[in-house]
Amino acid sequence: MIGIVVVSHSSALADAAVALASEMTDPENRPVIKVAAGLDDKTFGTDAAAVSEAISEADSGDGVLVLLDLGSAVLSAEMALEFLDPELAGRVRLSSAPLVEGLVGAAVAAGAGADLGSAAAEAEQGLTAKTQHLGHGDGGTGKGGPEEGADGAPAEPRPESVGGERTHDEHVVELAVTAPHGLHARPAARFVRTVGAHHGVEVRVCNLDTGSGPVDGRSLTGLATLDAREGHTIEVTAAGATAADLLQELSALAGTGFGDLADPALAVAQPGAATSGATTSGTATSGATTSGAGPRSGSREISRPPEKGPTFGLEAAMGPVVRGDATASLVDYRAGDVEAELRALDEAVTRSRGELADLIDRATARLGPGEAGVFDAHLAILEDPAFQNPVRDGILAGQAAPQAVLTRTTELRAQFEGLADSYQRARGEDVTSVGERLLRALGGAEADGAHGPGVLVVRELDPATAVLLDPSETLGVITLGGAATAHGVLLARARGLPVLTGAAPARDVKEGTLVALDVRSGRLVVDPDPGVRSEFEALLAERAEARDRMMAAAGEPAITLDGHHVLVKANVASVADASLAARSGADGSGLVRTEALFGDRSTAPTVAEQVAAFERIAEQLAGGTITIRTWDVGGDKPLPFHPQEPEANPFLGVRGLRAFRDDPRPLVDQLEAICRVAREQPVRVMFPMVATVDEVDWALARLDEAAGRLPDGRPDGLEVGIMIEVPAAALRPEALTTLLDFVSVGSNDLVQYTLAAERGNPALGDLADAADPAVLQLIHDTVTGVADGVQVCLCGDAASDPDLALLLVGLGVSELSAAAAAVPAVKDVLRRARLVDLQDLAARALRAESAAEVRALLQT
Amino acid sequence: MANLQAFTSWIADYAATVTEQADYLTDLDRAIGDADHGSNMRRGMTRAAELAGAEEFTGIDTYLKKVGMILVSNVGGASGPLYGTFFLRMAGAFAEVEDAGVEEVGKGLRAGVEGILARGKAEVGDKTMYDAWAPALEAFDTAAGSGSDLAGALAAAAEAAAKGRDETEGLVARKGRASYLGERSRGHIDPGATSSTLLLESAARTLA
Repeated sequence: MIGIVVVSHSSALADAAVALASEMTDPENRPVIKVAAGLDDKTFGTDAAAVSEAISEADSGDGVLVLLDLGSAVLSAEMALEFLDPELAGRVRLSSAPLVEGLVGAAVAAGAGADLGSAAAEAEQGLTAKTQHLGHGDGGTGKGGPEEGADGAPAEPRPESVGGERTHDEHVVELAVTAPHGLHARPAARFVRTVGAHHGVEVRVCNLDTGSGPVDGRSLTGLATLDAREGHTIEVTAAGATAADLLQELSALAGTGFGDLADPALAVAQPGAATSGATTSGTATSGATTSGAGPRSGSREISRPPEKGPTFGLEAAMGPVVRGDATASLVDYRAGDVEAELRALDEAVTRSRGELADLIDRATARLGPGEAGVFDAHLAILEDPAFQNPVRDGILAGQAAPQAVLTRTTELRAQFEGLADSYQRARGEDVTSVGERLLRALGGAEADGAHGPGVLVVRELDPATAVLLDPSETLGVITLGGAATAHGVLLARARGLPVLTGAAPARDVKEGTLVALDVRSGRLVVDPDPGVRSEFEALLAERAEARDRMMAAAGEPAITLDGHHVLVKANVASVADASLAARSGADGSGLVRTEALFGDRSTAPTVAEQVAAFERIAEQLAGGTITIRTWDVGGDKPLPFHPQEPEANPFLGVRGLRAFRDDPRPLVDQLEAICRVAREQPVRVMFPMVATVDEVDWALARLDEAAGRLPDGRPDGLEVGIMIEVPAAALRPEALTTLLDFVSVGSNDLVQYTLAAERGNPALGDLADAADPAVLQLIHDTVTGVADGVQVCLCGDAASDPDLALLLVGLGVSELSAAAAAVPAVKDVLRRARLVDLQDLAARALRAESAAEVRALLQT
Repeated sequence: MANLQAFTSWIADYAATVTEQADYLTDLDRAIGDADHGSNMRRGMTRAAELAGAEEFTGIDTYLKKVGMILVSNVGGASGPLYGTFFLRMAGAFAEVEDAGVEEVGKGLRAGVEGILARGKAEVGDKTMYDAWAPALEAFDTAAGSGSDLAGALAAAAEAAAKGRDETEGLVARKGRASYLGERSRGHIDPGATSSTLLLESAARTLA
C-alpha cells in the first residue's frame, strides 16, 4: 500500500486533517500517514529535513503521495526530494490537491488499494465535488471525474447504460439511497471501502435521478459528484471475477443507508428494483391536456408596434407555445369522497414538491445557489402546515380539493398583502404561485412551462422567472400584458432572449401551438403556414449568422474608423451575467446592480459575502473595471432586507441613496465591501438617485466612514461617481461633480423622469423613448457641463440599442454599458462608424422636433 | 582571504545583525506578507551561530552545509529552504578550500544564488530576494574581473544588493505570499531582498 505524507505549516492543522481522513478509512486497511508540520507545536513553519524523514518512514516500497498546504511547504517538499535516495525520490509524488480534500480522497483510495498514480489522481479530484456543488464549475471541470480516464471520453449525463457495451460478466444493480443526507462523505467512503476489497473488479456508478455519472466506484470524489440524495436511485455496474459478490455486499450496505441508519429495518434494500425518484419532470408533450380556452385553428397574425428598444441577439423565435401562465382547467374535475380528495391533495403536493425540487436544482445548476431562492420560498409555503392544514380541514368539511386549495390560497394571499413590509407583501404572489401549481397538479395539467423547450407565454414576466429562463430551452417570451421596459423583460433581454410584450391577443393560444415572433418588426404569427415558416427560418438563419460574425469579433476593442476608442461594458446583475458579459467581449462592467445581485435574500448580506460576490464578478471580467452601484432600492426594486413603507408614488419616493438617510448602516457596510474589493481589483463605486450637491457630500462622507474601517483607508485606485438619472442632476452637472471621477447617465430613469412617463406603464411606452430630443439635450448638457476631468459614461438600455449607441458616442459619452448580449452588436456598429460623422449626427438629433424624427435620422 | 574562522565570524555577525534588525524585517513582512521574516531569520541564524561553539568543523564546506541544514529546519517560512539551499550549494564550492579568495567566494556565491533560483523559480523584477542577489553577483564579478580583491568585490556586491533592494519598493510582487496582494504590494521594500543585502553587508565586514 502507498504511504501518505502531510506537509503543513501547522502541526495542529495536519493532525486534525489526518484524523478526519482516518475516520473515513477502515482501520484494517489504513495507509501509513506521516506528518511533517510546524517547527514545533507552537511555531508555524515547514522543515525540509522533517519532510524527507516523514517520506522515508511512510514508504513501504509502493511509493508516497505528499499533500501540502501553501508557500514554503512546497519549497520544503521539493527540497526534501533532493535529500532522499534518488530511487525513493522516484516513487514520491507531490500533490497540488487542496490539503484536506486531497488527503481524504487519497487516504480512502489508498485504503482501497489504489496505486500511487490513482491515489494522486483521486487527490487532484478533491475539489470537484465542492466546485460542482457550489456551482462554480464551468461544465467541463466538474463532470470530468476519474471516469474520464477510464474510457478516454468525457462522461455524458446519460444513465441508461454504462461504458457503452456490456460484456457477459457485467452485473448491474439499482440501489435506493436511503441515508438521510444521501451518499455523502461517510456513506460514500464505506462504499469505496467495500469496492476496494474486490481487487480487479471494475465498478461504475450513475445517479439515475440526476443522470450524472458514470463515475468510478473506487473514487470518493467521483461518488460525491453524483450528488445522490435521499430518495435517489443509483445504478452500480460491476465487471470482474467477484462482481456478483460485490454487488450483493453493496446491496446489503445500501440497506443500512450505507451504514448511516442505526436500524437496518428502517431501510429496505432494493436490489434490482428502481425506486422512482420524486423529481421526474414532465416534459411538455404538446396538446395532450390542459387549457380552458376553446380550440382555435388556422393561421393568424398579431401585429405589435415594432420595438424601438435594444436590438441584439436574434429578437425572433419560432417554436411551440409553452404556457407559463397555465391556470388549471378544473371544469372537468370530478370530486370524490373525502378520502379520495385527501388522496388527490397528497398526490398534488407530492408532484408539486417534485417540480419545485427540480426547479431548485435547475436554478442552482444554471445560476448558482443564491438564485433558487424564489423556489425555496415556494417549497417552504407548500410544506407549511399553516398552508396545508386549513386545506385538509376544508376537504374534511366537504369541499373538493381544488376548492379547498383556492379558498386557502386566496385567504393567505390576502393576509400577506395586508402586511406593512413590502417583502412580506410580495410573498402574496408566491402563495398564488404555489396555489396555482397545486391546482395544475389536481387538474392533471402539465407542469409549468419552464420545463419544455419553446416560446414561453406569460401574463407578465417577473424578474424571478426572467432570471431563470434558459436560453437553450426558452426560444422566446410573449407577455400578454406589461411594458417592454418592465424589469423582468429587461433582465430576459439582457440574457439575449427575444421578448415580445403586450401581446394580449395571444391569450388563448394553446400549449404546443407553433408561433413565430419578431421583436424588431413587432410581428407575431400563430400557427404559421409553410410560407411564413420558411420566411422565419430564413430570418433566424440570417440573424444567427450576423450574430456569429459579431461574436467572433466581440473580444476586440471598439475603435471607430477614425481611431476613437469607446469602452463597451456590460450591465451585470449576477455572476452568471458577468460570465455572459465576459463571453460577449465586454470591456468590464459599467453597472453592477447590487440590489438584483442580492435581491432574493431576506437578510442583508454580510460585508464578506458582498466582497466574495463582487470578487467573483470582477474575476469573470478580469482585465476590465467593474462599476459597483450601491443599493438602488425602491421604485420597482424592493429589497427584501430593507423593507420600506408603502408609498403613493414609489418612483418619486424614497429611492436609491435616499433610502439610507435614516439608517445608513447597510450602505456603509456595502461601501466597506467595495473598498475591500477595490484593494485587489479595478473597481469604481457609483451612487444612484442623486439630485443635489448635499447628497453628493453625504454619499462621500459615508464612503469615508466605510474607508475608515480599513487599515489603509480608501484604496488609491477607487474612482467615485454618481448616476445622472434625475433631471436636476443633469441640469447642474458641474456643481455636483467637482469631487468626482466620473458620472454615468442612467438612461432608463432619466427618460422616465424627463418625460414623466413610468417605464412600467404599457400605455406610455411611446413616450418613454431615450431618443427624445429632451433626453438627448440633458445628456449633451451633462457631457459639456461636468467639472474638468470627469468622465461621462452611460449605463442603461439606450446603450444596448446600436443606433442609439452611435448617437450617444456622437454626443460625447466616452463609455457605454449595455446589456451583455448587446455588447458584440454595439461594438460592431462603432467599428464601422467615424466619430466626426457621429458628432454631426448628434448635432442634428439635438435640433430634431421629436423622438420619431431622431429615429428617422438614425436610420439614414 | 577567508578561512573557516572568517566564515564562522560571518555567520555570527549575520546572526547578530538579523537579531538587531528582526523587528524591522518583520515590519517589512507585515506590510506584504505574514509578519514573521524577522523572527524566523533570528531563530534560524541564532541556531546556526551556535554551531561553531558546539561542534568542531574540519572545513568551510562541512561548516556551511551544516549551517544550511540548520536553516532548513529552523527558519520555518520560505526563507528556510531558500537560505538553506543557498548555504548548501555554496558549501559545494569550498570543498578542499582552506582559504577562500575572491575567485572561490565568487564561485560560492554564484552556486548559492543558482540554488535560490532553482528553489524559488523567481526572476528579476518579481520582488524577491533575487532582486538583490542578481545585481550583487554582477557587481562582484565586475569588480573581481577588474582586479579587486575579496574585500573590494564584496563591498561592490553589497552596494549593488542595497540598490536592488531599494528598487523592490516600486515592484509588484509576483512570487510568494506577497503576490496575493498584487498591485498593493507596490510601495514596500521586499523583506527577503533586505535580509539578503544584510547577509552581503555582513560578508563584506567579516570575510575579507
